[in-house]
Amino acid sequence: MISLSDVSVVLGRKAIIKEASFNAQAGALTVIVGPNGSGKTTLMRALSGDLPFTGRITINGHPLGHLKPWQMAAMRAILPQSTSLSFPFTVREIVRLGLTSGRSGATHDVAENLPDEALALVDLAGFGRRFYQELSGGEQQRVQLARVLCQVWQPVLDGQPRFLFLDEPVSSLDIKHQLIIMQIAHAFATRGGGVIAILHDLNLTSMYADRVVVMHGGRIDSVGTPAEVLTDDRILRVYECALKVGALPDKHVPFVLPQSAVM
Amino acid sequence: MSESVLMRPAVLRSGQGKTRPEGDRSFLAKGVIVLLGLALLATMLFSLTAGASDASVIPVISALVRGASSDNNVLSLRDSIIIWDIRLPRIILGAMIGASLAVSGAVMQGLFRNPLADPGIVGVSAGAGLGAVSVIVLGGTVLAPFIATFSLFALPVAAFIGALVFTLILYAVATRRGQTSIATMLLAGIALGAMAMAYIGLLTFLADDRQLRDLTFWTLGSLAGSNWAKMATAGPFIVLALLVSPFLGRGLNALALGEASASHLGIPVQRFKRVAIIVVAAATGASVAVSGGIGFVGVVVPHLLRLVIGPDHRYLLPASALLGASLLLLADAVSRTIVAPSELPIGIVTAAVGAPFFLWILLRRRGIVDL
Repeated sequence: MISLSDVSVVLGRKAIIKEASFNAQAGALTVIVGPNGSGKTTLMRALSGDLPFTGRITINGHPLGHLKPWQMAAMRAILPQSTSLSFPFTVREIVRLGLTSGRSGATHDVAENLPDEALALVDLAGFGRRFYQELSGGEQQRVQLARVLCQVWQPVLDGQPRFLFLDEPVSSLDIKHQLIIMQIAHAFATRGGGVIAILHDLNLTSMYADRVVVMHGGRIDSVGTPAEVLTDDRILRVYECALKVGALPDKHVPFVLPQSAVM
Repeated sequence: MSESVLMRPAVLRSGQGKTRPEGDRSFLAKGVIVLLGLALLATMLFSLTAGASDASVIPVISALVRGASSDNNVLSLRDSIIIWDIRLPRIILGAMIGASLAVSGAVMQGLFRNPLADPGIVGVSAGAGLGAVSVIVLGGTVLAPFIATFSLFALPVAAFIGALVFTLILYAVATRRGQTSIATMLLAGIALGAMAMAYIGLLTFLADDRQLRDLTFWTLGSLAGSNWAKMATAGPFIVLALLVSPFLGRGLNALALGEASASHLGIPVQRFKRVAIIVVAAATGASVAVSGGIGFVGVVVPHLLRLVIGPDHRYLLPASALLGASLLLLADAVSRTIVAPSELPIGIVTAAVGAPFFLWILLRRRGIVDL
């Protein structure tokens, strides 16, 4: 379990995160939503150990400040929003970097083939020899996800659950790949790992989240199941946008929901 | 030996009935490293025989095999001195310097996540030169205690300190939150280089005639005057840097994703960067202390290799060391023979070839590099 209590982050003189507290369970997909500038990514960076914070964050009971980088690398993997490279690495070489800490959890003979398996999982089979810089933004994002999956290939290692932190994993993806990526995250959770994802798409959130954390102005506004959290008045208050949950558009106006996918 | 290295993966492959995964260049890289090793050996033998004095290959090799005190008078006393006291130290030192120039370039490029970073281009070599020149000119006066402390090692130590200080300044100026601005780095390098040159100019003004002769040699860069004593003082720095560099490969690969992602992969980034900076400073400082500013090896060699084996630093670093050594020996052979019996400073040869190459890299990357 990942547990935050009274976590605050100050960047410069501005308090970005104010007294955030919530738990993210193993076996569950926890989705953080909130408007731009509400502190989602900053909170993720604090969770990742990139930013100084006050309060307390623990991973499986271990306080974040006491863990070495390689110990944290064995417990969680992090997908950043985007990654640019200045050297001509092939896709496979990038994915293989996920094995840097050597705790994928796969047996040694399988480990060498993990990059290819991970690439197939994110629907990039056969992309191994392509140059990363030549791919589209969405393809690059999926390569990075494959890398991150290699790092924590087994969702449970030594009896301890492991975690995936995904910062807007579907932001640059087409609808098919949005669904594929959310399925991967869902499967990671059902196999015993924990996932914390930042999403902007409330429909995907409703479809896949076990728990939703709503952020607003640097504070945790509410935590609950999608049904509990996604309400008209909360969306109006947090997003400052009058939307009706569950309202259908007029007849003859086409709309496509991810929920309608036949998987 | 090379054959067994090349064969091993093939055996595994046939055993598993699988082909090598697409996009995995490690097999190619290992093969290239073996070939570069053989090429370096050939270049060293060739260099041993090339020069103003004619000493043909076979007697030289047999002299090497039998040792200096051989009773067999295949070599005249004169040839023996040329081989043992002039050419051999020069070749070994030249190979070490070529390797350290290329490795310090490759490490710096990985550290700054930027293929244009090179100790010569961004002013770090100038910093090392400033340290060395300070010792030469002020060694009898202000810096006498420094000389007393480090005795024979004063020159490489001073060059190391100069390189270290300049690298740290450059890093502080050009890098913010783990992201290096290419433009800021190159401009900071120009400023640092100019600053070092100004101080070196001032010291030149203070220098006496004997010191002036020593100083001229810094500005051009030369392997002339290589001897066993220089190797004994600068060698340890170079050997240390070259021995540590293979352990930087994994971390530099992770760093290519950015500092945050490298840390998420388990690399202790701050400590790793300190080690990498010390390796760059040691390699640059020692090579500048011996040979002055030999430019462009550090940017040309890693770039050529990335085109062939890719940027995986686990292979790029040893391959750079081997190719850097070979190329510098070839450049030295050219500099020794092209105007024989006189010789050209090697810095002129590497700059004449390397600078246009650098422009070509800039041209190729103009579209991708956002200045």
